[in-house]
Amino acid sequence: MPATDVDFEREFEELVRDLRALPTAAPEQLREHVRLLGEPARTQTLRDVLPALSWRRSLLVLAPVCVLGLVSAALIHGLVNSGGSQNQALVQQTSGSGGTADTKGSKLELGTSAATPNARSLATPAPGRFQDYQASLSLRVKDVDTLHERTAEATQIARSYGGFVASVDESTNGGGGQSDLVLRIPVARVQDAYFRLATLGTVTAQHLSIRDLDQVVRSQGRRIVQLKLSIARIGQTLESASLPADVRLRLELQRDAAKQELARVTGSNKATLREASLSRISLTLTAQQAAAAKKGGMGRIERAARDAGSFLASAGAVLLFLLIVLSPLIVLAAVGLWGTRAYRRREERRLLSAA
Amino acid sequence: MRVVNAVTTSWPALRLDRPTFSAVAESELDAVHRYLLFLTGNRTVAEDLTGETFEKAFRVWRRFDPRRGTARAWLCGIARTTALDHFRSEERRRRREERYAHDLPETEDLAFGPGPLEAALGLLSAAEREVVALRVLLELDGPTTARVLGISTTACSTRLSRALKRLEELMKDARD
Repeated sequence: MPATDVDFEREFEELVRDLRALPTAAPEQLREHVRLLGEPARTQTLRDVLPALSWRRSLLVLAPVCVLGLVSAALIHGLVNSGGSQNQALVQQTSGSGGTADTKGSKLELGTSAATPNARSLATPAPGRFQDYQASLSLRVKDVDTLHERTAEATQIARSYGGFVASVDESTNGGGGQSDLVLRIPVARVQDAYFRLATLGTVTAQHLSIRDLDQVVRSQGRRIVQLKLSIARIGQTLESASLPADVRLRLELQRDAAKQELARVTGSNKATLREASLSRISLTLTAQQAAAAKKGGMGRIERAARDAGSFLASAGAVLLFLLIVLSPLIVLAAVGLWGTRAYRRREERRLLSAA
Repeated sequence: MRVVNAVTTSWPALRLDRPTFSAVAESELDAVHRYLLFLTGNRTVAEDLTGETFEKAFRVWRRFDPRRGTARAWLCGIARTTALDHFRSEERRRRREERYAHDLPETEDLAFGPGPLEAALGLLSAAEREVVALRVLLELDGPTTARVLGISTTACSTRLSRALKRLEELMKDARD
C-alpha cells in the first residue's frame, strides 16, 4: 500500500499511464468495415429544430404555460360573458323525436336565463294537436310602484287574449317586492301573449314546457265509446222480460259501474281538453331593493372577475376530479416503471458479474 | 473529441454543428473498441460488438442529438446495450450447451496480453473494467459515465475507486 498521498498519486498516475498504453486500438479490418457503412441519409426532423429539453425541463416549462393558458382562458371567458347585461343561454332538453313545438308524444322543455324572448327560439304550439303548454317567465321591474302597474297590465293582457288570471300573489317588503301570477291563456294565442308579457320588464329567466296530450285524449275518447256501447248493450239485455232475477241484478250492477266509469272518464276528458285549450303562464315580477339592485348591476370589471373566478373554480374542480380518477393509474404506472427499472438494473448487474 | 466534418442546421437561431456519421465513426472507433474490450475481456468479441455497435448507430443516427451529450457517450450507450444483449445470448447458449455437453472446453481469446496489468485486468469483474474504461481510457466525465451505466454519479465514483484500488492490489500481488 502507498505510504503517503504523494506515493498514492504517483502510483495512480502510473496505473493510468499503463492502462492507456495498453494495445487497445481497433484493428484495421474493423476500421475498414465501419468506413464501408458510409453516411446515412439525412432528413431534418422536428427533433433537430426544437431545442433539446429533458422531460423535467419540459414539465417546468409546460406547467406554467398551462396555468397561464387557464388564467387567460378564464379572463377571456369573463370578459366575453360580461360584454352585455342580457346574455342568452339556451338550454334545450328533449326526449323523443321532437325538438320543436310539434313534438309528437313527447315532452319539450326550453329554459333560458336572463334572456330576451325571441319569437324564433320560443316553441309554438302545434295546431291540430292537444298539448299541455306551460311557460314561466321571471321579470325584473324598476320599483314597487312599477310592480303594481305591471301586475295590473299582465292581468289586462291575459284578458285581452281571451284568458284569465288563475291566481295572483303580490307582496312588498321595504323597497322591494314580488308578484306571482298564474295566467291561463288560450293555446292558440299564447305566443303573442307571452311576448307582450315579456315586455313588462327585464327578463331574468324563462322556462317553457310542452307535453303532448294527443294520445291521452284519443285513449279517453276510445274508452268513452267502449263504455257507451257497453251501457247500451246491457240496457238492451235488461229490456228482455225473461231474464232471471239474479242475472238482471248483476247486469244492473254492471251498468251502474259502467255509468260511473263513463262519468269519470268524461270528466277526465273534459279536463284534458281544457288543459289543452288553455296554456298556463306563471309570471313572476320582482322589484329589487336599492342595495340589491345595485349588487345586481355590477360593473363590467367586477362581472368579468366573477365570471373568471367561476371559470377557474370549474377548471379546478375538473382537474381535481381527473386527479382523483387517474391517481390510481398514475401510481400503478409509477410502480410499474420503477419495478421495470429495478429489474433491468439487477439483470445488468447479474450479467456483468457473470461475464 | 476531434470532429473532421460537420453539417450545420438550416435554422440560424439554432446554429449547431452536427458531426457527420463517418467523421464520428472515424474518431470514436478506437474509443468504442477500447470500451468493449474492457467490458467483455475478449478481443474477438469486442471486435464483433464494435462492428455491431456502429451498424446500430448508423441505423439510428438521426436520433443522435449533440445538444444532449457527446457522440462518444451516445456510442458507449449503444455499445453497452449491444454488449448486454451479447452476454444475455451467451448465457442462454451456455445454459443450452451445459445441458448436452458438460465438458466443452472454453476457447478464450486473451484480451490484454501476458503482463501483470493485463492479468490483473482479467481478474476484475466486467462492471469494474467497464467503469475504468469509460473514466480512465475514454475520459468521459463522471455524470456522463453514470448516465451511460444507468447509475448515480456517486455510485459511479465509488465503483471506479474500488476498481482502481483492486487493480492496484492485484498488480502488487502479481509483482510480489
